[in-house]
Amino acid sequence: MVPSRDKQDPPARVVSPPAPAALSSPAIVSGQADLRLGFVPLSDAVPLLVAQALGLFAARGLRVCLAPAASWSALRDRLAFGAWDGAPVLAPMPIAAAAGLGGVRAALSVTATLGRNGNCLVLGGDLLAALDDSTAEFPLSATAFATALAARRSAGAPPPTLAVVFAWSSHNYLLRQWLAEGGVDPDRDVRLVVLPPPALPEALASGAIDGFCAGEPWGSRAVELRVGRIVLASLHIWPNHPEKMLAFNDAALADEARVVAATAAVIEAMGFLAEPSNAAHAAQIVQQMALPDVPREVVALAFAGRLVTEADRPAIDLPGVLRHAPAHSRPEIAHAHWFAARMRACGQLGEPVDLDAIWRDDLWLRAATRAGLSRPIAKHSSPDGAFQRSVAP
Amino acid sequence: MSDSPDSSGPGRFSAGTDATVAVSRLRVLLVDDNAERARAVADGLAAQGCVIVGTVPEPADLVRRVREGAVDVVVCDLDSPSRDALESMGALHRDEPRPVVMFVDRSDPDSIGAAMQAGVAAYVIEGLSPARVKSVVDVAVARFAAHQALKAELAAARTALSERKLIERAKGILMSSRSMSEAEAFAALRGLAMDRGRKLAEVADSVVALEAMLRHPAKPNR
Repeated sequence: MVPSRDKQDPPARVVSPPAPAALSSPAIVSGQADLRLGFVPLSDAVPLLVAQALGLFAARGLRVCLAPAASWSALRDRLAFGAWDGAPVLAPMPIAAAAGLGGVRAALSVTATLGRNGNCLVLGGDLLAALDDSTAEFPLSATAFATALAARRSAGAPPPTLAVVFAWSSHNYLLRQWLAEGGVDPDRDVRLVVLPPPALPEALASGAIDGFCAGEPWGSRAVELRVGRIVLASLHIWPNHPEKMLAFNDAALADEARVVAATAAVIEAMGFLAEPSNAAHAAQIVQQMALPDVPREVVALAFAGRLVTEADRPAIDLPGVLRHAPAHSRPEIAHAHWFAARMRACGQLGEPVDLDAIWRDDLWLRAATRAGLSRPIAKHSSPDGAFQRSVAP
Repeated sequence: MSDSPDSSGPGRFSAGTDATVAVSRLRVLLVDDNAERARAVADGLAAQGCVIVGTVPEPADLVRRVREGAVDVVVCDLDSPSRDALESMGALHRDEPRPVVMFVDRSDPDSIGAAMQAGVAAYVIEGLSPARVKSVVDVAVARFAAHQALKAELAAARTALSERKLIERAKGILMSSRSMSEAEAFAALRGLAMDRGRKLAEVADSVVALEAMLRHPAKPNR
């Protein structure tokens, strides 16, 4: 069962920051826009990019301005202080924002689950060498990883450094869960750090880190640059885990109809993405709009449900490695409870948070209806993997 | 500029204001890949009596520098990719210093607006009173804003220069191809611009482009 603690807690007092007049963002091309949406350049920003590129926002009468953010912190600040209206966010970010973690308190509303899966664990350097002695299996098991770590430790090597992309991220919680399953203490046996995704392949090459967990295309990019090997995908830890959420700030929520229309356009874009024959087109849109420095064939791999885990090896099929589909777009409150529980377990979250006020199922329902989602979608898709194990008391 | 000597005591400055006293000897780390701007901010803060622990351009070494430099405040670009690493220090490791992002006083929307406008994000290490840090942020915002204005000015100057060149070339073309005087050529350009509601430089650009096309006609395909 889902823990009910958060539900019973009184709603947190959310102090919404005053929106200063005339906030500027250097990244935003000025011009009249109804909605200013930000994104961190990653493959799974694709529903937003496709909605813009295919005119799905425009078809709903919305003039949308898209702008890239250099970091999750910068994206959050622009959302919190009203420079932007909405964005794809890491699923735990709205919970962190409601609790004021990191210094910025903001009321964000989640209107859809943007994507499932999409992250890879990449190892390089010495750590990979230690593994090759023991195993080359894919996906790597946590116990095999633990064995390799133990061997390293007894040889006098310091704990390896693994990077995730943000403290409040599925990357952090899923990696911790996987490590713990193998008997690895995530706080003692490895050192977790945070680096922005585009910096990861280089950091791995330079030896600053020994591995990382990040969204595509950065795993595939590291393999292409011959600096690491993909040892597992996040779907191996929790199949179909929620990854990015579409979130809006409370200023945007003042006009619910607009938020619903934008969400409907994004759900339509997911319909386009759910069609395998559109994979190449989607990859092209993302590469052009968000990832101009990454070769298109590297970006295209995950969109085609494929990964090259090691340089010079043929691609393997991994359906759903990057999944966007209207049928998976419902923001499920059980997921919010899972993330809140992980945040508490890590000592990050102390105060109670009213999760039902953040995960706006009602807005999703209106948007999904507008997007013509005819088949009703089960409110709680049967969870498995990490979800079930962690949520069970 | 790292480890600059702390020679600038508060006594040297408009002695006595609360801000000056409060800011003195705060240890500040700058994260900026723009050396010129970083120098301007560092000078401004040193003048307030801050100790500039160092300037780092990128995230790689950042966490170690914060930990080992006994840093009180980190000042960085709002869009610095280093910010996520900085924010996650205390969140990932309970034994690390915990930098908390600070948009000055949250009850003061003008300050937040000014900081975002100037593109400044400041982090105060948890435990330190935000009031002590306010003037550090004010200095950083002022220096960032000045740098931004200078950049805008430079860009405008560059555009003006290239526009002037274009107009000169267009005038030259008209003078030689239409045997106009310089004044006639300029009047012709200005007349065209006014007729079409376009900028003089745009019309000049069209003239130059057209002339190049007529002089080097594209070869027919076959």
